[in-house]
Amino acid sequence: MKRRNAVAAGIAFVFIAGAVSASNDYDYCLLCHGANANGNYGIRAPKLSGMEPWYLARQLENFASGARGTPAEDTAGHEMGPVGLRVKTEGTLEGAVKFIGTLESRRPAPTVTGDVAHGKALYAGCVACHGPKGEGNPSVQAPALAARSDWYLATQLANYQKGLRGTDPRDTYGAQMRAIVSTLPDEKAIVDVVAYINTLK
Amino acid sequence: MKRAVSRRDFLHLAGAVGGSTTVFRAAVALGLLPAVAHAERPELATLNKTRKVLILGAGISGLTAAYELSRKGYEVQVLEASFRAGGRNMTVRNGDRIDETGYPQVCNFDKDPDLYFNCGPARIPGHHKALLNYCKELGVELAPFINDNRLAWVQDDAMFGGKPVRAREYMTDSRGFVAELMSKSLTPAAFAAPMTKEDVERLREYLKYLGSLDPSFKYTGSSNAGLAVHDYTSPDVLKKPLDGRELLKSKFMEIMSFGETDDQAAMMMEPVGGMDRVPAGFLRKIGHLVQLESQVQKINVQSKGVEVTYRRNGAYVTAKADYVLNCIPMHLLAGIEHNFPKEFAAGLTAIPRGKLFKIGFQMKERFWEKEGIYGGISWTLQDIQQLWYPAHGINRQKGVMLGAYTFDPNAGEKFARLAPADRFKLAIAQGEKIHPGYGSYVETGVSVAWHQMNHMLGCAAQWDEELWKKWFKTLQTPVGNHYLMGDQVSYHPGWQEGAMASAHHAIADIDARERAAGSVAA
Repeated sequence: MKRRNAVAAGIAFVFIAGAVSASNDYDYCLLCHGANANGNYGIRAPKLSGMEPWYLARQLENFASGARGTPAEDTAGHEMGPVGLRVKTEGTLEGAVKFIGTLESRRPAPTVTGDVAHGKALYAGCVACHGPKGEGNPSVQAPALAARSDWYLATQLANYQKGLRGTDPRDTYGAQMRAIVSTLPDEKAIVDVVAYINTLK
Repeated sequence: MKRAVSRRDFLHLAGAVGGSTTVFRAAVALGLLPAVAHAERPELATLNKTRKVLILGAGISGLTAAYELSRKGYEVQVLEASFRAGGRNMTVRNGDRIDETGYPQVCNFDKDPDLYFNCGPARIPGHHKALLNYCKELGVELAPFINDNRLAWVQDDAMFGGKPVRAREYMTDSRGFVAELMSKSLTPAAFAAPMTKEDVERLREYLKYLGSLDPSFKYTGSSNAGLAVHDYTSPDVLKKPLDGRELLKSKFMEIMSFGETDDQAAMMMEPVGGMDRVPAGFLRKIGHLVQLESQVQKINVQSKGVEVTYRRNGAYVTAKADYVLNCIPMHLLAGIEHNFPKEFAAGLTAIPRGKLFKIGFQMKERFWEKEGIYGGISWTLQDIQQLWYPAHGINRQKGVMLGAYTFDPNAGEKFARLAPADRFKLAIAQGEKIHPGYGSYVETGVSVAWHQMNHMLGCAAQWDEELWKKWFKTLQTPVGNHYLMGDQVSYHPGWQEGAMASAHHAIADIDARERAAGSVAA
């Protein structure tokens, strides 16, 4: 991100540095999303590394426009919203997406456990778009699900159900997801399907 | 059947009405006395061997440890992720950058030594010995800080149709109201513990002074509430007491004793010119040891020492040290690659992060002084919760006042979601209920949402009794030669004194280990 304001004099500070070099610009992503953007449950920031560039770009656009992250109960979304807006308005969205692509993606340790067999049965409804191995399918704009932050998948499925995501008319893919997720009967179904996704490689 | 009042119940009731001072006095009256304990600044032994220490974070705990260790022969380097040192000790003045992730801001206050805003800590009580000693040692000049001003306002939409009342009126009239009721209902039989008739009489006398009751134990008003008119050429006229039932509608009762709590009671202090004079004092001594813009990405605890990898100018750098003192906020540390034991790592995500939020407004005129308010805090039950009036620069034209300081995480989130201009609008609309015309004085503002600040993403760790019991020892215990520090690893989070206590605890442990290893000068 461009540092728009150099530090002005005022009362002199021996310890305040001047402008930051451009190469540090995307370290902002790592602040929340952790080392190599492999996610940080501590502040509920999901793993980004290994995400498809087109998916990352679309979500940043959604955050920037307010198509995602605006409902009152979506507190994590509120934190991302202004960041999306900032990268969009400062023209650094593309650079941020590229930066994520340079990071070393690691498979996160599983945190969600559930009935894998039941989850597998439920996953039948996901296969068409997200693929049998959770590998995703760019031709239908469906991102990979394997090796993501599992707690984040569970949160987002719940968000779709609760109408915290996929309700804005501009988020057409989100609306599709919301329709499908509404077929998951309860919280246990969400946990089970994520537990199954954890087994996909 | 009449419910018996126990001594404890009575103390709680007295506390709600009279504040902690009353509790203390009542406790003394009933023969119960509190215990006091102090933590001391350790006297480290001078090393006669080389020991390298990496300190992660140049906040108060990191600077304290760096200062102490470097004086005793340790080779110290401090890695700081931000462009500035100080951590949450942050004062902004003309031109300063507020590095919030989504909404970066610049402080546009006029260039003037009195026009600054303490975004983090802003006051020091007289028993915060460690901090006060460092202030003295580092030449940080202190001035009185006014925390409690009975001429400031109390506003709550739940009482008097939202119309503000002076704090002294609320306090005096509510105490009078409750003291009168209590004195009427006191009988020896009302207490669970045996109380003699004489005990009850003493309590009634106590209530009389507590509530400014008249000789017949009725509350008919008190000059403690402020006179109706301050005209000293004619006899005093008392204000008519406010309706007690109306006063009790307000939850202000819960914060009424704020200025009497352990850390908030007079005499409070602040550094002259801004709280960041504290880190500036440290940096005058050890600034050369601090490297900014170095964000830690990986910590590898080894059998001897610790390896740390950080990003600087887009490149990864690895450094090795005998000891690492880690002041990175736990919720951020959780996202860094590490080889900590599972139980320790689990603790890092177990403590919720604070979401405190502040606004500072530069006012074109110190209008509050025309209302007789010189320093102190007005309280409201609205989102902004507090208005602070500066005790420095009295009688000057302009001043920077605090326009919001929220303790409630929901209020913090509500503000943080908005763009700065909308935060100001909301804060001004609420401030108008306390000071009509408030918004017309605002020239410029700054807002600090601590849970969205770069390299912080949180204010004080939100410990509670259960969390302390479950996690504190685990997180405080060193992992090999790696120590977690900061106010987050203290029983006093959110205070610089807590940060210093954690630093003292860690360096005292290192000192003991080095002494045991015989690596210190005799």
